Amino acid sequence: MQEIALDAAINSIRIRFGSQALTRAAELPPPQPWPSRTPIDYLTGIGGLPHGRLTLLCGNGTCGKLTLALLLLAGATREFAHAMVIDTGSGFDPWTLIPFYPELSALTVVRAPALDLAGEAAIALARAGAGFILLMGEIPEHALGPLESGASRSGTVIVGVVDAPGRAFAHASSLSVGFSRTDWIWERGQLVGLRTTARCLKNRVAPPLGETELEIRYPLGARPLSDHPVQVAEVPRELMCESAVV
Amino acid sequence: MRICCGLTNHLELARRPDLYGNPVVVGNWEDHVVAVSEEALPFGVTPGMALRQAEHLCPQATFLPPDPESAAHLRELISSALYDLAPTVEVRVEGVAWLDVNGVVSAGESIREARRRLRTAIGREPRLGIGPGPFSARLAAARARPGRLLQVDKAKTFLAPLSSHELPLDAEQLERLDLLGLRTLGAVAAIGPRELESQLGRDGRHAVLLARGLEPDQLTPWRPPLFTSAHRQFEEPVENREAMLFVARALCSDLAEELGLRGAGAKLVRVRLQLESAQHEQRETVVRHPLSSAAELFGLIGSWIKEWQPRAPITELWIELPVLEGAGRRQLRLWAGGDGTSEEVIAALERLQERWGDQVVHKPRPALLSSPLPSQRFA
Repeated sequence: MQEIALDAAINSIRIRFGSQALTRAAELPPPQPWPSRTPIDYLTGIGGLPHGRLTLLCGNGTCGKLTLALLLLAGATREFAHAMVIDTGSGFDPWTLIPFYPELSALTVVRAPALDLAGEAAIALARAGAGFILLMGEIPEHALGPLESGASRSGTVIVGVVDAPGRAFAHASSLSVGFSRTDWIWERGQLVGLRTTARCLKNRVAPPLGETELEIRYPLGARPLSDHPVQVAEVPRELMCESAVV
Repeated sequence: MRICCGLTNHLELARRPDLYGNPVVVGNWEDHVVAVSEEALPFGVTPGMALRQAEHLCPQATFLPPDPESAAHLRELISSALYDLAPTVEVRVEGVAWLDVNGVVSAGESIREARRRLRTAIGREPRLGIGPGPFSARLAAARARPGRLLQVDKAKTFLAPLSSHELPLDAEQLERLDLLGLRTLGAVAAIGPRELESQLGRDGRHAVLLARGLEPDQLTPWRPPLFTSAHRQFEEPVENREAMLFVARALCSDLAEELGLRGAGAKLVRVRLQLESAQHEQRETVVRHPLSSAAELFGLIGSWIKEWQPRAPITELWIELPVLEGAGRRQLRLWAGGDGTSEEVIAALERLQERWGDQVVHKPRPALLSSPLPSQRFA
């Protein structure tokens, strides 16, 4: 009964606004994936982060989103000629990237204390075809349209890390993954990591919406930080898959 | 070396596409014929003959006076249109366009695009030929059907049966070749360069090398022009900054269009304000990466005008681009793999630094990673 009603609603929208107004996600040609080799790949439904689209990692407080973003960034420095960080005042320190074995020669940090500069830099780099852009915060609303179109043409992978995205930023993203910490991991009375749930909140590139649980282990001990790779491991859990209508 | 040749009408004829399909002869009265349309050739009219003789042979033809300036302008336009398709491009007013596609990754795509652009510029399908050098490519193109490509793999074999009148020699030298019994390029190739040099001078040696497919000639690459400017004179002296910005934006658009047409970018930008008091003020800067779009030009010039405090009302606004570059970024199609992207990304970062300061872009280089002070960890 529900399906019939849904089909009727879809048909009425198509009749009124045209056949292209509403398309099943499964019928859309998916963007090319960039296999990041992280558990996030399973959540996108295309086997990697989408090229030419904005992916958001969001969640409040210490929930592991930044750790995962750094893991993605380190992977990008090894695979792309240019991996960019647009630091909107959060004081990105490349040192935090060291445990993930990045290729630092490919890394460029754009320090953008002003939001306009962040927007301009993101647009310019997306248009120029930088391989990967990590946005450490939101950019102005007026920059989102040019950013989307620039990235779409060049195929740049854009990842944004924010606590709670604004409406415009959330709307501009094609994929949103929300993180929420479920538990701290203690071993021998010492905090060694955290357990977090990563849930796909929005997916405009493929049908599945799912969630998974991650274990993030911090580097510990007296050895140099670079000898302690941070572990981001996936805890197997059922993936909820359902078709999405975009 | 692989040269593609696009053969079209003489550019004097291309000025009047409305006359396509009719016999047309271009030349000055009491002078020689400069160009002849294909429709006039069957009547025996050839370039170089007296115009009176051409009129006698083909009285129904339309006779036009030559306009070398327009033809040269059209040649510039075609050269700039083809500039991003091959590293070396040469266009002649005779209606010959050569592209050196040696090393071009997608040569087939470049040739297809060249065909399309030539058709747009001339209004007719070009004949295309590809060969080891300009001479064989041109002869191949002359034998191709309109819109088709004739490929020559072995120049010597292809040239051997062709008439020796295809050689770039004057009428007297060609007649001497006939008298020597050298009626085909194969016959010319068979004799030694020195032998023919003794008969025809240096041209004889050159002719033998051409006939052998050795392609002694090199293309003369077209280069974008070196200077351009735009200005606007105000009827009433202007003090309003908004009006100046409006005019500056329009001038930037004009300049960008011209730069795009010529495939160039501005390396030096100068803005000059002519004041009512007959004095002038100017500001100029060298930019790291050539500016070519209206947004780039206006981004720089607009920021100047916004903070400019002229001493008197302005009567004239000049935007000069005294140093132009054949900006490499204009030959984007030639880049393979990530090269182009890398160049573009570096250029984008440089533009950000120009606009917001050098400290905006930071490439971390490990220095003292174990230092407890974050500032010491990276250079």
